[in-house]
Amino acid sequence: MTTTEPVGHRVAPALTTHPGFFRAPFAAATYRGVAQLAVGWTWALTAGLLVVIAVVTAAAMVPVLGLGLVLLPATLALARAYGDVERARLAAQTGVVVPAPARRRPAQRRWTARLWAASTDPVGWRATAYAAVVLVLTSVYLAFVVALAAGAVGGVVLAVRFLLDGGTGDASTAGALLLLLGALAVVAAPWFAAFCAQAGTLTTLRLARALLGPSAAAEARAAQAVAESEARVAESAAAAAARRADVLTETRAAALEAADTERRRIERDLHDGAQQRLVALGVTLGTARRAAERDPAAAVAALEHAHGEVKETLAELRDLVRGIHPAVLSDRGLDAALSALAARSPVLVRVETSGLEAAGTTAQAAAYFVVAEALTNVAKHAGASRAHVRADVVVPEASDDPAVAGPTLRVEVTDDGRGGAGTAPGGGLAGLRGRVAALDGTFDLTSPADAGTRLTVELPCAS
Amino acid sequence: MRIVIAEDSVLLLDGLTRLLQAEGHAVTGHRTAEEMVAALTAPGAALPDLLVTDVRMPPSHTDEGLRAAVHLRSLHPDLPVLVLSQYVEQRYAAELFARGTRGLGYVLKDRVADVDEFLDAVERVEGGGTVLDPDVVSQVLARSRHDLADLTPREREVLALMAEGRSNAAIADRLVVGPAAVEKHVTNILSKLGLPPDADAHRRVLVVLRWLDLNGDLR
Repeated sequence: MTTTEPVGHRVAPALTTHPGFFRAPFAAATYRGVAQLAVGWTWALTAGLLVVIAVVTAAAMVPVLGLGLVLLPATLALARAYGDVERARLAAQTGVVVPAPARRRPAQRRWTARLWAASTDPVGWRATAYAAVVLVLTSVYLAFVVALAAGAVGGVVLAVRFLLDGGTGDASTAGALLLLLGALAVVAAPWFAAFCAQAGTLTTLRLARALLGPSAAAEARAAQAVAESEARVAESAAAAAARRADVLTETRAAALEAADTERRRIERDLHDGAQQRLVALGVTLGTARRAAERDPAAAVAALEHAHGEVKETLAELRDLVRGIHPAVLSDRGLDAALSALAARSPVLVRVETSGLEAAGTTAQAAAYFVVAEALTNVAKHAGASRAHVRADVVVPEASDDPAVAGPTLRVEVTDDGRGGAGTAPGGGLAGLRGRVAALDGTFDLTSPADAGTRLTVELPCAS
Repeated sequence: MRIVIAEDSVLLLDGLTRLLQAEGHAVTGHRTAEEMVAALTAPGAALPDLLVTDVRMPPSHTDEGLRAAVHLRSLHPDLPVLVLSQYVEQRYAAELFARGTRGLGYVLKDRVADVDEFLDAVERVEGGGTVLDPDVVSQVLARSRHDLADLTPREREVLALMAEGRSNAAIADRLVVGPAAVEKHVTNILSKLGLPPDADAHRRVLVVLRWLDLNGDLR
């Protein structure tokens, strides 16, 4: 039953509401109550009484003969079963569900402990008490109901007979008063009978709740267990949040440092590269101009020199700009950008990609620079004959775990070189590690001596 | 003349060497300040007529060249030194000029591309003159705690050229006026600022820079 109305309103409206009071003899609750009392009384008189007698007998035999120790657990189990049936009956007849008591605790190892637990099973003992009390309770209520109903019916029969007899007998004032009182009693009896039926049912349910439901101690234990588990969950959530905050603080610092290092590198590249070249170019052109009149041949040589410097400066600027952000990446995507990197590498590089469109631009840019740095290292330090670049978008299987959120961009660069690569602070790989960490990605470098290098980076696509 | 250059950029060292050689000078190049100091302080080493050095050089890429120049000047106060700096740094200039201004130059590296100006600076410093980059001078003028409102715009122009270490003739040349006009401006400026009239351009630049408080940062 999933009713949300109070138990009193359902089984005893006459005692809890005004309209219920007036409608009591005609209310469905009354007839359900009568039926419940009748069945309950019959059940209590047979099964209930049997349980009580069995348990009491077994208990009484404990001090006399050891036999009781064997019988008591069995009879208490019987009492338990009786309680289960009684709760089911009440649910069926009244629509009110009494919660089940706690399950038996797991068996202990030693047989004496097991026997002790079985003999003191509180659920069984409480069910036995219920059986005894409910027998008395239903007997009394049912007796009242039957007596009042019978009185009402008898009164009506007497009145009819009195009227049919033509009002014989002494028509004294006392007689008339008695008749009036009788009539009032006849009218009132159905109400009292109905009240008794409803009150009996309500009392039975309260008794069942007290003796057949979970005990107060068990409920408190259960509530405490729930509270403790909630506290544990909250505690672990707080710990996870604190760890996350630590990680974010760390990766933010690393990202800032990586950006700063990058800016310094660009400044250094511009200062040492393009700027010096342009100054030198100015000097060369100035030399040519001064030489123009007195030594035309020297002037032409200087101009040729200057021309070469212009071309070299342009190439250097192109490389520098590509290092800041490659145009091919914005124009054609990661796939084309990786192919361009592979084509520029002096080492033979094979590129395989799949599903890269799903990755965000930031993730793609980070992946590009990871591969660029890795291939630079392969060419400079690894002494490798070939390298392999794999880039895939990996979609995790559906999961409730928020940690495995969305698809990731997985990049792997392997080579067959001499290994021994590391992420020294301030180095290119260390900067990339900071950049990857700031995107909540993972960075894994495996580079045993003489066994090649494998760099694996995973980045959330959404980044 | 014999010139020693310290410059870490191969290209620029190469360009300067060829430029100065084409002008008929003997040039020795060094890639680091350390190397240059070692060569010049070696026993029996002959001092050049001029030292040209970059400020920022390996290994730390900060101010190795400047420190080397200050060190060599403390050993040989008469050694003419021309310092090339990547950017205007008044503190560097102040440090360099703290012990006198004779035969000392501080110019932005980019000026080297203006070959005539650079060769002029080389001549002036070698001849014991002072050369201060116009950018440094304008910074000093802008930051001077003195009020220059009494000067006419033309006089302020002349003051800046004086601070750069130019002679009256060079100023007249630059402003396309007669030498007499320049002399008149200079006299006016010195009297307005309450400085002693001094015909010598070498002494004059020292007086002007002191007055402008170039060294203020060092105090």
